[in-house]
Amino acid sequence: MKDAVRKLNIEYGFNLTEQEIDTVAKQAEEAALLFQPLFEVDIADIAPLTKVDKRVKPPTIKKGKK
Amino acid sequence: MKALDVEGLTISEIAPLIRKKQISPLELTNCYFDRIRKLNPTLNAYLALTEEEAMAAARRAEREIAKGNYRGPLHGIPFSIKDNIATKGVTTTAGSKILSDWVPDFDATVVERLKQAGAIILGKTNMHEWAKGSNSINPFYGTSYNPWDKTRIPGGSSGGSAVAVAASLCPASLGTDSAGSVRNPASLCGVVGLKPTLGRISVFGGVAGTGGYTVNHFGILTKTVKDCALVLGHIAGHDPKDPLSSNEPVPNYTKPIGIPVRGMKVGIIKGGYFEECLTSEVRRGFEEALKMLKALRIKIREITIPHMDLVPALQAASTRPEANSDHDHYLRTRPRDYSPGLLYGLIAGLLIPAPVYVTAQRVRRLLCQEFDTAFEKVQAIVAPTLFSTAPTIEDCNRGYIEADGKRINLADRAGNFLTRYTIPFNVTGLPTISVCCGFSSSGLPIGMQISAPAFQEGRLFQVAHAYERAAEWYKRRPQL
Repeated sequence: MKDAVRKLNIEYGFNLTEQEIDTVAKQAEEAALLFQPLFEVDIADIAPLTKVDKRVKPPTIKKGKK
Repeated sequence: MKALDVEGLTISEIAPLIRKKQISPLELTNCYFDRIRKLNPTLNAYLALTEEEAMAAARRAEREIAKGNYRGPLHGIPFSIKDNIATKGVTTTAGSKILSDWVPDFDATVVERLKQAGAIILGKTNMHEWAKGSNSINPFYGTSYNPWDKTRIPGGSSGGSAVAVAASLCPASLGTDSAGSVRNPASLCGVVGLKPTLGRISVFGGVAGTGGYTVNHFGILTKTVKDCALVLGHIAGHDPKDPLSSNEPVPNYTKPIGIPVRGMKVGIIKGGYFEECLTSEVRRGFEEALKMLKALRIKIREITIPHMDLVPALQAASTRPEANSDHDHYLRTRPRDYSPGLLYGLIAGLLIPAPVYVTAQRVRRLLCQEFDTAFEKVQAIVAPTLFSTAPTIEDCNRGYIEADGKRINLADRAGNFLTRYTIPFNVTGLPTISVCCGFSSSGLPIGMQISAPAFQEGRLFQVAHAYERAAEWYKRRPQL
């Protein structure tokens, strides 16, 4: 991860010290661990959430008399 | 004439007096400015006051009302606005150094709607830098102090707004909430804080980079639930300037207030999410609140949300890339104008791969479906708003609190621990309100949040109001 931070350091011109590179790299590593379980969830056929809608319940079908 | 005492006054109390011309908006506004001048130096709730414009608006309101043109319950009511919400002609810093001299040439839709309703804007409130944190210890504008104990934080990021309402430096304030930033300070300062359904209130005019997109909401802080319902009715509704705003009609939110809650079923989420590091004082306060709900003949049911433990990952995977998309320009041009901690977090955010973001949005839909299923069994969900009462400023600076003989870190891999209990309702976009549910032995407020299905804010107000009136915690005021 440190190499990735160093690359960003050059690209963005942050002028980070080695200690700062280390701090950022540790945070990024922690985040990567945090996100790992997301890939273990079965999300086949589930589209991304883009907005929240009011839930519309499907109409209930009344049973006719026998 | 005896000066008007604005301490503890609510909109619902003031509005009829303004309508009947028993209180003058000019006198009222003056009284709030007097109180602000007296108390703001020690509380640091306001960053900027708009006295000239406010007095002009108060005079206008007074003239209109005298002529019989009363606009409604917000006419002549003073408000404060968090400093990441654009206000025309008034500096809007977002608590940042980078925007320290930004003066918008437009009003956010919410500000425009408040002004249309005849409200008076007193000024802009202090906040956590870029709304990226929840203690309101701001390195550029100073810390806002909790009015219940000035050695403690007010919470955040809308810390100044909560302080202003709790200390009666305004009867209501607008804030923003992308991880609990309205409910968290409301809880720590003992006031009401509403985060409505995602899309219920337009977020046009919110400063980019202070809340992301898919988890960010504008919210309301007031002294009572009824006041909150009144304000929401005026600022909610579709806004063509905000593509994420909803077309759902805006009902009369005060109508459900006072309707008995007897027989209603309310859920508590089992599985430990809301028990992690829960301090004994907050647990006691919450359990007492549950007893009160039962006394109101509400049935408490246990519910489960299978993927609850993924909430911190979903929140982080959503907000961090969204924030980075807004901060890219300043990261390239003015990186050292961020506080170091925030800068490091933003840089780390640049390293989140795109599939993480998209996968998170897919898992969020799954989580929403799980909440939908839970809401088939209960009409509302309740939980503590935070795991503890307000930490001291010193606690926040050293990064942990000590409670019940244990050390509790205020941040971990998942981010800020002060937001752990509030973020489930950001990643799901569900409407949630925080109300005071008691006080600790040292006199600090404890908060309970109530959540309902999307666009069911009326139900929140019904339950929260019933609880508030039965418990009467809202009557307590900080000694200032």
